[in-house]
Amino acid sequence: MGKAIVVTSGKGGVGKTTTTANLGTALALSGSKVCLLDLDIGLRNLDVILGLDNRIIYDIVDVAKGRAKLQQALIKDKRFEDKLFLLPAAQNADKSVLNPEEVKKIVTELKPDFDYVLIDCPAGIEQGFINAVAGADQAIVVSTPEISAVRDADRVIGLLEKESLSEPPQLIINRIRTHMINDGQAMDIDEITRHLSIKLLGIVFDDDQVITTSNKGEPIVLNERNPASQGYRNIARRMQGETVPLMSIASIEKKSIFSRLKSWFDKK
Amino acid sequence: MQSVILKGHKDGYVINLKSNARFIDILRELTELFEQLQQDEKMNSEPLSFNITTGSRLLNADEKKKIEKIVSRFPLFSIHKITSEVMLVQDALEMIESKSIHLDANTIRNGQVEYIQGDVLYVGDLHQGGMLRATGNVFLLGKCEGIVHAGYLSNSEAIIVGDVHAAQQVRIADAVAIVAQEKIAKSKETVVFVNDLHVLDYTKHTEIKTIRPKLFARMGGY
Repeated sequence: MGKAIVVTSGKGGVGKTTTTANLGTALALSGSKVCLLDLDIGLRNLDVILGLDNRIIYDIVDVAKGRAKLQQALIKDKRFEDKLFLLPAAQNADKSVLNPEEVKKIVTELKPDFDYVLIDCPAGIEQGFINAVAGADQAIVVSTPEISAVRDADRVIGLLEKESLSEPPQLIINRIRTHMINDGQAMDIDEITRHLSIKLLGIVFDDDQVITTSNKGEPIVLNERNPASQGYRNIARRMQGETVPLMSIASIEKKSIFSRLKSWFDKK
Repeated sequence: MQSVILKGHKDGYVINLKSNARFIDILRELTELFEQLQQDEKMNSEPLSFNITTGSRLLNADEKKKIEKIVSRFPLFSIHKITSEVMLVQDALEMIESKSIHLDANTIRNGQVEYIQGDVLYVGDLHQGGMLRATGNVFLLGKCEGIVHAGYLSNSEAIIVGDVHAAQQVRIADAVAIVAQEKIAKSKETVVFVNDLHVLDYTKHTEIKTIRPKLFARMGGY
Protein backbone atom coordinates (compact mmCIF):
# COMPACT_ATOMS: atom_id res chain seq x y z
CA MET A 1 0.00 0.00 0.00
CA GLY A 2 1.53 3.30 -1.08
CA LYS A 3 1.51 6.70 0.53
CA ALA A 4 -0.39 9.65 -0.93
CA ILE A 5 1.50 12.90 -0.45
CA VAL A 6 0.18 16.30 -1.43
CA VAL A 7 2.68 18.97 -2.47
CA THR A 8 1.28 22.37 -1.62
CA SER A 9 2.35 25.91 -0.74
CA GLY A 10 -0.48 28.41 -0.74
CA LYS A 11 1.52 30.93 -2.73
CA GLY A 12 2.04 30.41 -6.43
CA GLY A 13 5.41 30.27 -8.15
CA VAL A 14 7.41 28.73 -5.33
CA GLY A 15 7.99 25.53 -7.26
CA LYS A 16 5.24 23.07 -6.35
CA THR A 17 5.05 21.54 -9.80
CA THR A 18 8.83 21.47 -10.24
CA THR A 19 9.16 19.84 -6.83
CA THR A 20 6.48 17.26 -7.62
CA ALA A 21 8.10 16.38 -10.95
CA ASN A 22 11.60 16.15 -9.54
CA LEU A 23 10.72 14.29 -6.36
CA GLY A 24 8.68 11.84 -8.41
CA THR A 25 11.55 11.32 -10.79
CA ALA A 26 14.10 10.98 -7.98
CA LEU A 27 11.91 8.42 -6.20
CA ALA A 28 11.45 6.50 -9.44
CA LEU A 29 15.21 6.57 -10.12
CA SER A 30 15.89 4.98 -6.77
CA GLY A 31 13.47 2.16 -7.42
CA SER A 32 10.10 3.27 -6.02
CA LYS A 33 6.99 3.07 -8.11
CA VAL A 34 5.49 6.55 -8.35
CA CYS A 35 2.32 8.08 -9.71
CA LEU A 36 2.08 11.85 -10.13
CA LEU A 37 -1.35 13.38 -9.93
CA ASP A 38 -1.83 16.84 -11.41
CA LEU A 39 -4.74 18.62 -9.75
CA ASP A 40 -4.03 22.06 -11.18
CA ILE A 41 -7.04 21.74 -13.42
CA GLY A 42 -7.25 24.40 -16.11
CA LEU A 43 -3.58 25.36 -15.73
CA ARG A 44 -1.81 22.04 -15.99
CA ASN A 45 1.98 22.12 -16.14
CA LEU A 46 3.24 18.88 -14.66
CA ASP A 47 2.94 17.08 -17.98
CA VAL A 48 4.96 19.80 -19.72
CA ILE A 49 7.80 19.70 -17.20
CA LEU A 50 7.98 15.93 -17.57
CA GLY A 51 7.83 16.22 -21.36
CA LEU A 52 4.68 14.12 -21.53
CA ASP A 53 2.24 16.79 -22.75
CA ASN A 54 1.82 15.44 -26.26
CA ARG A 55 0.79 12.01 -25.00
CA ILE A 56 -2.31 13.02 -23.06
CA ILE A 57 -5.48 11.33 -24.25
CA TYR A 58 -7.62 11.18 -21.13
CA ASP A 59 -7.28 13.23 -17.96
CA ILE A 60 -8.33 13.12 -14.33
CA VAL A 61 -11.71 14.72 -15.01
CA ASP A 62 -12.47 12.01 -17.57
CA VAL A 63 -11.65 9.40 -14.93
CA ALA A 64 -13.67 11.12 -12.21
CA LYS A 65 -16.72 11.48 -14.44
CA GLY A 66 -16.49 7.90 -15.69
CA ARG A 67 -15.61 8.77 -19.28
CA ALA A 68 -12.36 6.79 -19.06
CA LYS A 69 -10.84 4.07 -16.91
CA LEU A 70 -7.97 4.97 -14.60
CA GLN A 71 -5.58 2.68 -16.47
CA GLN A 72 -6.42 4.38 -19.78
CA ALA A 73 -5.65 7.82 -18.44
CA LEU A 74 -2.33 6.99 -16.77
CA ILE A 75 0.67 8.04 -18.86
CA LYS A 76 3.80 5.98 -18.45
CA ASP A 77 7.12 7.80 -18.54
CA LYS A 78 9.18 5.50 -20.78
CA ARG A 79 12.50 6.80 -19.44
CA PHE A 80 11.94 5.00 -16.15
CA GLU A 81 10.57 1.65 -17.27
CA ASP A 82 7.53 0.91 -15.15
CA LYS A 83 8.38 3.25 -12.33
CA LEU A 84 6.87 6.66 -13.13
CA PHE A 85 3.29 7.43 -14.15
CA LEU A 86 1.31 10.62 -14.58
CA LEU A 87 -2.39 11.24 -14.26
CA PRO A 88 -2.73 14.60 -16.01
CA ALA A 89 -5.12 17.42 -15.15
CA ALA A 90 -7.81 18.60 -17.53
CA GLN A 91 -7.10 21.75 -19.43
CA ASN A 92 -10.60 22.68 -20.60
CA ALA A 93 -12.30 22.73 -17.21
CA ASP A 94 -11.78 24.50 -13.88
CA LYS A 95 -11.07 23.42 -10.33
CA SER A 96 -14.70 23.22 -9.32
CA VAL A 97 -15.57 20.31 -11.65
CA LEU A 98 -14.04 17.88 -9.17
CA ASN A 99 -15.14 17.30 -5.61
CA PRO A 100 -13.07 15.89 -2.73
CA GLU A 101 -14.85 12.50 -2.83
CA GLU A 102 -13.96 11.96 -6.49
CA VAL A 103 -10.29 12.76 -5.86
CA LYS A 104 -10.25 10.56 -2.79
CA LYS A 105 -11.69 7.68 -4.79
CA ILE A 106 -9.01 8.00 -7.49
CA VAL A 107 -6.20 8.22 -4.95
CA THR A 108 -7.51 5.20 -3.05
CA GLU A 109 -7.63 3.30 -6.32
CA LEU A 110 -4.01 4.25 -7.13
CA LYS A 111 -2.44 3.59 -3.73
CA PRO A 112 -2.29 -0.24 -3.85
CA ASP A 113 -0.37 -0.16 -7.15
CA PHE A 114 2.24 2.44 -6.24
CA ASP A 115 4.76 3.20 -3.50
CA TYR A 116 4.11 6.93 -3.72
CA VAL A 117 1.23 8.95 -5.11
CA LEU A 118 2.38 12.58 -5.35
CA ILE A 119 -0.42 15.09 -5.69
CA ASP A 120 0.44 18.43 -7.28
CA CYS A 121 -1.78 21.00 -5.61
CA PRO A 122 -2.81 24.25 -7.33
CA ALA A 123 -1.93 27.59 -5.73
CA GLY A 124 -4.49 29.04 -3.38
CA ILE A 125 -6.63 27.58 -0.62
CA GLU A 126 -9.93 27.21 -2.44
CA GLN A 127 -11.65 24.23 -4.05
CA GLY A 128 -8.50 23.02 -5.80
CA PHE A 129 -6.61 22.90 -2.53
CA ILE A 130 -9.47 21.15 -0.73
CA ASN A 131 -9.64 18.54 -3.52
CA ALA A 132 -5.89 17.95 -3.46
CA VAL A 133 -5.74 17.50 0.30
CA ALA A 134 -8.78 15.22 0.43
CA GLY A 135 -7.00 12.11 -0.72
CA ALA A 136 -3.63 12.68 0.94
CA ASP A 137 -2.08 10.87 3.91
CA GLN A 138 0.73 13.35 4.25
CA ALA A 139 1.61 16.83 3.06
CA ILE A 140 4.76 18.54 1.88
CA VAL A 141 4.70 22.32 2.12
CA VAL A 142 6.99 24.13 -0.31
CA SER A 143 8.18 27.61 0.52
CA THR A 144 10.91 29.96 -0.61
CA PRO A 145 13.00 32.21 1.66
CA GLU A 146 10.63 35.14 1.10
CA ILE A 147 8.32 36.60 3.70
CA SER A 148 5.25 36.32 1.46
CA ALA A 149 5.84 32.64 0.73
CA VAL A 150 6.54 31.88 4.38
CA ARG A 151 3.40 33.72 5.49
CA ASP A 152 1.29 31.74 3.00
CA ALA A 153 3.00 28.50 4.05
CA ASP A 154 2.05 29.30 7.64
CA ARG A 155 -1.58 29.74 6.61
CA VAL A 156 -1.56 26.50 4.65
CA ILE A 157 0.06 24.55 7.51
CA GLY A 158 -2.72 25.83 9.74
CA LEU A 159 -5.30 24.50 7.28
CA LEU A 160 -3.47 21.19 6.89
CA GLU A 161 -3.33 20.68 10.66
CA LYS A 162 -7.13 20.93 10.70
CA GLU A 163 -7.37 18.15 8.10
CA SER A 164 -7.20 14.58 9.30
CA LEU A 165 -3.86 13.72 7.71
CA SER A 166 -2.12 10.76 9.30
CA GLU A 167 1.21 12.60 9.60
CA PRO A 168 2.09 16.24 10.30
CA PRO A 169 3.12 18.34 7.29
CA GLN A 170 6.80 18.62 6.35
CA LEU A 171 8.66 21.53 4.83
CA ILE A 172 10.80 21.98 1.74
CA ILE A 173 12.56 25.30 1.34
CA ASN A 174 13.02 25.83 -2.36
CA ARG A 175 14.92 28.29 -4.56
CA ILE A 176 17.53 29.15 -1.97
CA ARG A 177 20.01 31.69 -3.29
CA THR A 178 23.22 31.03 -1.43
CA HIS A 179 24.77 34.40 -2.06
CA MET A 180 21.74 36.24 -0.69
CA ILE A 181 21.69 34.16 2.47
CA ASN A 182 25.41 34.68 2.93
CA ASP A 183 24.92 38.42 2.49
CA GLY A 184 22.15 38.29 5.07
CA GLN A 185 19.60 39.63 2.58
CA ALA A 186 17.35 36.57 2.44
CA MET A 187 15.62 34.82 5.31
CA ASP A 188 17.67 32.23 7.13
CA ILE A 189 16.72 28.54 6.75
CA ASP A 190 16.76 27.85 10.47
CA GLU A 191 14.69 30.94 11.10
CA ILE A 192 12.02 29.83 8.61
CA THR A 193 11.91 26.29 10.00
CA ARG A 194 11.67 27.53 13.56
CA HIS A 195 8.98 29.99 12.65
CA LEU A 196 6.83 27.45 10.84
CA SER A 197 7.58 24.85 13.54
CA ILE A 198 7.28 21.81 11.31
CA LYS A 199 9.90 19.26 10.32
CA LEU A 200 12.28 20.34 7.56
CA LEU A 201 12.32 17.65 4.89
CA GLY A 202 14.99 19.31 2.81
CA ILE A 203 16.31 22.34 1.01
CA VAL A 204 16.81 22.98 -2.68
CA PHE A 205 19.20 25.58 -4.05
CA ASP A 206 18.14 27.89 -6.83
CA ASP A 207 19.78 27.06 -10.12
CA ASP A 208 19.30 28.34 -13.65
CA GLN A 209 19.55 24.79 -14.91
CA VAL A 210 16.19 23.96 -13.30
CA ILE A 211 14.43 26.25 -15.76
CA THR A 212 16.56 25.16 -18.71
CA THR A 213 15.87 21.48 -18.14
CA SER A 214 12.18 22.04 -17.42
CA ASN A 215 11.90 23.79 -20.76
CA LYS A 216 13.21 20.67 -22.42
CA GLY A 217 10.82 18.43 -20.53
CA GLU A 218 13.57 16.79 -18.53
CA PRO A 219 13.45 17.10 -14.74
CA ILE A 220 16.66 18.49 -13.22
CA VAL A 221 17.23 15.36 -11.09
CA LEU A 222 18.39 13.55 -14.21
CA ASN A 223 21.51 15.72 -14.03
CA GLU A 224 23.33 14.13 -11.10
CA ARG A 225 25.88 16.84 -10.41
CA ASN A 226 23.60 19.83 -10.27
CA PRO A 227 23.12 21.20 -6.70
CA ALA A 228 19.34 21.55 -7.12
CA SER A 229 19.23 17.97 -8.34
CA GLN A 230 21.19 16.82 -5.29
CA GLY A 231 18.70 18.63 -3.06
CA TYR A 232 15.78 16.76 -4.63
CA ARG A 233 17.63 13.44 -4.53
CA ASN A 234 18.40 13.92 -0.85
CA ILE A 235 14.75 14.66 -0.13
CA ALA A 236 13.69 11.53 -2.02
CA ARG A 237 16.15 9.46 0.02
CA ARG A 238 14.82 10.92 3.26
CA MET A 239 11.29 10.08 2.16
CA GLN A 240 12.46 6.49 1.61
CA GLY A 241 13.69 6.37 5.19
CA GLU A 242 17.39 7.11 4.83
CA THR A 243 19.19 9.58 7.05
CA VAL A 244 20.81 12.17 4.84
CA PRO A 245 22.47 15.26 6.28
CA LEU A 246 21.20 18.63 5.13
CA MET A 247 23.24 20.18 2.31
CA SER A 248 25.24 23.05 3.67
CA ILE A 249 25.33 26.43 2.04
CA ALA A 250 29.09 26.55 2.56
CA SER A 251 29.69 23.42 0.47
CA ILE A 252 27.78 24.88 -2.46
CA GLU A 253 29.53 28.18 -2.13
CA LYS A 254 32.96 26.52 -1.94
CA LYS A 255 32.23 24.51 -5.01
CA SER A 256 31.15 27.54 -6.93
CA ILE A 257 34.23 29.49 -5.89
CA PHE A 258 36.33 26.56 -6.96
CA SER A 259 34.55 26.25 -10.27
CA ARG A 260 34.85 29.98 -10.75
CA LEU A 261 38.59 29.76 -10.19
CA LYS A 262 38.75 26.79 -12.50
CA SER A 263 36.97 28.61 -15.25
CA TRP A 264 39.25 31.57 -14.68
CA PHE A 265 42.29 29.35 -15.16
CA ASP A 266 40.67 27.66 -18.13
CA LYS A 267 40.29 31.01 -19.80
CA LYS A 268 43.97 31.75 -19.45
CA MET B 1 -47.14 21.31 56.54
CA GLN B 2 -46.37 24.92 55.96
CA SER B 3 -44.74 25.56 52.59
CA VAL B 4 -44.18 29.32 52.87
CA ILE B 5 -42.28 30.68 55.87
CA LEU B 6 -41.64 34.32 56.65
CA LYS B 7 -38.54 35.16 58.63
CA GLY B 8 -37.10 38.42 59.85
CA HIS B 9 -33.40 39.00 59.36
CA LYS B 10 -31.16 41.88 60.28
CA ASP B 11 -31.14 42.94 56.63
CA GLY B 12 -34.84 42.56 56.01
CA TYR B 13 -37.58 40.00 55.55
CA VAL B 14 -36.98 36.68 53.88
CA ILE B 15 -39.71 34.43 52.55
CA ASN B 16 -38.62 30.83 52.28
CA LEU B 17 -40.51 28.67 49.76
CA LYS B 18 -40.15 25.03 50.76
CA SER B 19 -38.54 23.17 47.92
CA ASN B 20 -40.47 19.94 48.51
CA ALA B 21 -43.87 21.62 48.50
CA ARG B 22 -46.19 21.74 45.49
CA PHE B 23 -45.96 25.01 43.62
CA ILE B 24 -49.73 25.36 43.68
CA ASP B 25 -49.67 25.23 47.50
CA ILE B 26 -46.89 27.77 47.57
CA LEU B 27 -48.85 30.22 45.46
CA ARG B 28 -51.91 29.77 47.66
CA GLU B 29 -50.00 30.16 50.94
CA LEU B 30 -48.09 33.13 49.57
CA THR B 31 -51.36 34.89 48.76
CA GLU B 32 -52.66 34.12 52.23
CA LEU B 33 -49.46 35.39 53.82
CA PHE B 34 -49.59 38.69 51.99
CA GLU B 35 -53.28 39.14 52.80
CA GLN B 36 -52.55 38.59 56.52
CA LEU B 37 -49.64 41.00 56.41
CA GLN B 38 -51.74 43.64 54.76
CA GLN B 39 -54.35 43.39 57.48
CA ASP B 40 -51.68 43.81 60.09
CA GLU B 41 -51.72 47.49 60.92
CA LYS B 42 -48.07 47.80 61.71
CA MET B 43 -47.12 46.38 58.37
CA ASN B 44 -49.63 48.49 56.56
CA SER B 45 -47.90 51.81 57.16
CA GLU B 46 -44.82 51.76 54.91
CA PRO B 47 -43.61 49.95 51.78
CA LEU B 48 -41.86 46.61 52.33
CA SER B 49 -39.45 44.62 50.20
CA PHE B 50 -38.91 40.87 50.53
CA ASN B 51 -36.14 38.51 49.57
CA ILE B 52 -37.43 35.16 48.40
CA THR B 53 -35.33 32.00 48.75
CA THR B 54 -36.35 28.81 47.03
CA GLY B 55 -33.91 26.34 48.61
CA SER B 56 -33.01 23.54 46.22
CA ARG B 57 -35.78 24.46 43.80
CA LEU B 58 -35.08 26.44 40.66
CA LEU B 59 -37.97 28.65 39.53
CA ASN B 60 -38.48 29.02 35.81
CA ALA B 61 -39.48 32.28 34.18
CA ASP B 62 -43.13 31.30 34.17
CA GLU B 63 -43.18 30.50 37.89
CA LYS B 64 -41.36 33.72 38.72
CA LYS B 65 -43.97 35.62 36.76
CA LYS B 66 -46.77 33.99 38.76
CA ILE B 67 -45.16 35.03 42.05
CA GLU B 68 -44.61 38.56 40.81
CA LYS B 69 -48.24 38.69 39.75
CA ILE B 70 -49.38 37.85 43.28
CA VAL B 71 -47.10 40.47 44.83
CA SER B 72 -48.25 43.13 42.37
CA ARG B 73 -51.73 42.90 43.89
CA PHE B 74 -50.33 44.38 47.09
CA PRO B 75 -49.09 47.92 46.33
CA LEU B 76 -47.00 48.22 49.48
CA PHE B 77 -45.08 44.97 48.96
CA SER B 78 -42.36 44.21 46.47
CA ILE B 79 -39.76 41.50 45.78
CA HIS B 80 -36.14 42.53 46.13
CA LYS B 81 -34.67 39.37 44.67
CA ILE B 82 -35.33 35.67 44.26
CA THR B 83 -32.39 33.41 45.16
CA SER B 84 -31.81 29.70 45.11
CA GLU B 85 -29.16 27.36 46.46
CA VAL B 86 -28.93 25.50 43.15
CA MET B 87 -28.12 26.42 39.56
CA LEU B 88 -28.31 24.75 36.15
CA VAL B 89 -25.33 22.62 35.18
CA GLN B 90 -25.09 24.59 31.95
CA ASP B 91 -24.95 27.91 33.81
CA ALA B 92 -22.40 26.48 36.22
CA LEU B 93 -20.16 25.31 33.38
CA GLU B 94 -20.42 28.69 31.70
CA MET B 95 -19.47 30.34 34.95
CA ILE B 96 -16.44 28.10 35.38
CA GLU B 97 -15.47 28.73 31.76
CA SER B 98 -15.63 32.47 32.11
CA LYS B 99 -14.01 32.65 35.54
CA SER B 100 -11.06 30.30 35.17
CA ILE B 101 -7.72 30.85 33.47
CA HIS B 102 -7.35 28.56 30.49
CA LEU B 103 -3.92 27.19 29.64
CA ASP B 104 -3.49 27.27 25.88
CA ALA B 105 -0.46 25.90 24.02
CA ASN B 106 -1.84 25.78 20.48
CA THR B 107 0.14 27.33 17.67
CA ILE B 108 -2.02 30.01 16.08
CA ARG B 109 -1.04 30.34 12.44
CA ASN B 110 -1.69 32.95 9.79
CA GLY B 111 -5.45 33.25 9.26
CA GLN B 112 -6.46 31.33 12.37
CA VAL B 113 -8.48 32.78 15.24
CA GLU B 114 -8.27 31.15 18.66
CA TYR B 115 -11.32 32.11 20.72
CA ILE B 116 -11.34 31.63 24.46
CA GLN B 117 -14.21 32.16 26.86
CA GLY B 118 -12.65 33.68 29.95
CA ASP B 119 -9.01 34.38 30.77
CA VAL B 120 -6.13 32.71 28.99
CA LEU B 121 -2.56 31.88 29.87
CA TYR B 122 -1.09 31.52 26.41
CA VAL B 123 2.11 29.50 26.12
CA GLY B 124 1.96 28.72 22.39
CA ASP B 125 3.24 30.54 19.34
CA LEU B 126 1.10 33.30 17.87
CA HIS B 127 2.22 33.81 14.28
CA GLN B 128 1.81 36.88 12.11
CA GLY B 129 -1.74 37.03 10.79
CA GLY B 130 -3.08 34.85 13.60
CA MET B 131 -5.40 36.13 16.31
CA LEU B 132 -5.75 35.22 19.98
CA ARG B 133 -9.11 36.40 21.21
CA ALA B 134 -10.39 36.05 24.77
CA THR B 135 -13.45 37.42 26.53
CA GLY B 136 -11.28 38.00 29.60
CA ASN B 137 -7.64 38.81 30.30
CA VAL B 138 -4.71 37.55 28.25
CA PHE B 139 -1.46 36.50 29.89
CA LEU B 140 1.29 35.80 27.37
CA LEU B 141 4.28 33.57 27.89
CA GLY B 142 4.85 32.37 24.33
CA LYS B 143 6.02 34.10 21.20
CA CYS B 144 3.58 36.74 20.08
CA GLU B 145 3.72 38.11 16.53
CA GLY B 146 0.06 38.32 15.62
CA ILE B 147 -2.99 40.10 16.99
CA VAL B 148 -3.93 39.83 20.66
CA HIS B 149 -7.49 40.73 21.58
CA ALA B 150 -8.54 40.75 25.23
CA GLY B 151 -11.97 41.62 26.62
CA TYR B 152 -13.75 40.62 23.43
CA LEU B 153 -16.55 41.95 22.83
CA SER B 154 -16.92 44.83 25.24
CA ASN B 155 -15.04 44.15 28.45
CA SER B 156 -12.70 47.13 28.62
CA GLU B 157 -11.66 46.11 32.15
CA ALA B 158 -9.61 43.29 30.62
CA ILE B 159 -5.83 43.55 30.42
CA ILE B 160 -3.04 41.99 28.38
CA VAL B 161 0.13 41.00 30.25
CA GLY B 162 3.32 39.85 28.56
CA ASP B 163 5.76 40.67 25.81
CA VAL B 164 3.75 42.26 23.01
CA HIS B 165 6.52 44.28 21.41
CA ALA B 166 6.58 42.01 18.34
CA ALA B 167 2.80 41.75 17.96
CA GLN B 168 0.98 43.31 15.03
CA GLN B 169 -1.88 44.74 17.05
CA VAL B 170 -3.17 44.73 20.59
CA ARG B 171 -6.88 45.13 21.15
CA ILE B 172 -8.97 45.41 24.29
CA ALA B 173 -12.74 45.50 23.84
CA ASP B 174 -13.18 48.05 21.04
CA ALA B 175 -9.83 49.82 21.45
CA VAL B 176 -7.10 48.97 18.95
CA ALA B 177 -3.42 49.86 18.83
CA ILE B 178 -0.97 49.13 16.05
CA VAL B 179 2.08 48.01 17.96
CA ALA B 180 4.66 49.22 15.43
CA GLN B 181 3.47 52.78 16.03
CA GLU B 182 3.51 52.48 19.80
CA LYS B 183 7.19 51.78 20.46
CA ILE B 184 6.51 49.19 23.14
CA ALA B 185 9.66 47.99 24.86
CA LYS B 186 10.70 44.34 24.65
CA SER B 187 9.68 43.25 28.11
CA LYS B 188 7.75 40.38 29.64
CA GLU B 189 6.42 42.82 32.20
CA THR B 190 4.36 44.93 29.83
CA VAL B 191 0.73 45.43 30.76
CA VAL B 192 -1.76 46.81 28.26
CA PHE B 193 -5.00 48.26 29.59
CA VAL B 194 -7.73 50.74 28.75
CA ASN B 195 -7.26 53.91 30.77
CA ASP B 196 -9.84 56.38 32.09
CA LEU B 197 -9.89 58.22 28.75
CA HIS B 198 -10.81 54.90 27.06
CA VAL B 199 -7.47 54.77 25.30
CA LEU B 200 -5.05 51.85 25.30
CA ASP B 201 -2.23 52.52 27.70
CA TYR B 202 0.91 50.65 28.77
CA THR B 203 2.45 50.09 32.14
CA LYS B 204 4.45 47.51 34.11
CA HIS B 205 3.16 44.42 35.87
CA THR B 206 3.81 45.98 39.26
CA GLU B 207 0.99 48.44 38.51
CA ILE B 208 -1.70 45.81 37.88
CA LYS B 209 -2.85 45.96 41.48
CA THR B 210 -3.34 49.70 41.23
CA ILE B 211 -5.16 49.78 37.90
CA ARG B 212 -7.26 46.62 38.30
CA PRO B 213 -7.70 45.81 42.01
CA LYS B 214 -10.80 43.75 41.24
CA LEU B 215 -8.72 41.27 39.28
CA PHE B 216 -7.16 39.94 42.45
CA ALA B 217 -10.35 39.86 44.48
CA ARG B 218 -11.75 37.51 41.89
CA MET B 219 -8.81 35.25 41.28
CA GLY B 220 -9.06 33.50 44.65
CA GLY B 221 -12.33 31.84 43.66
CA TYR B 222 -15.95 32.77 43.90
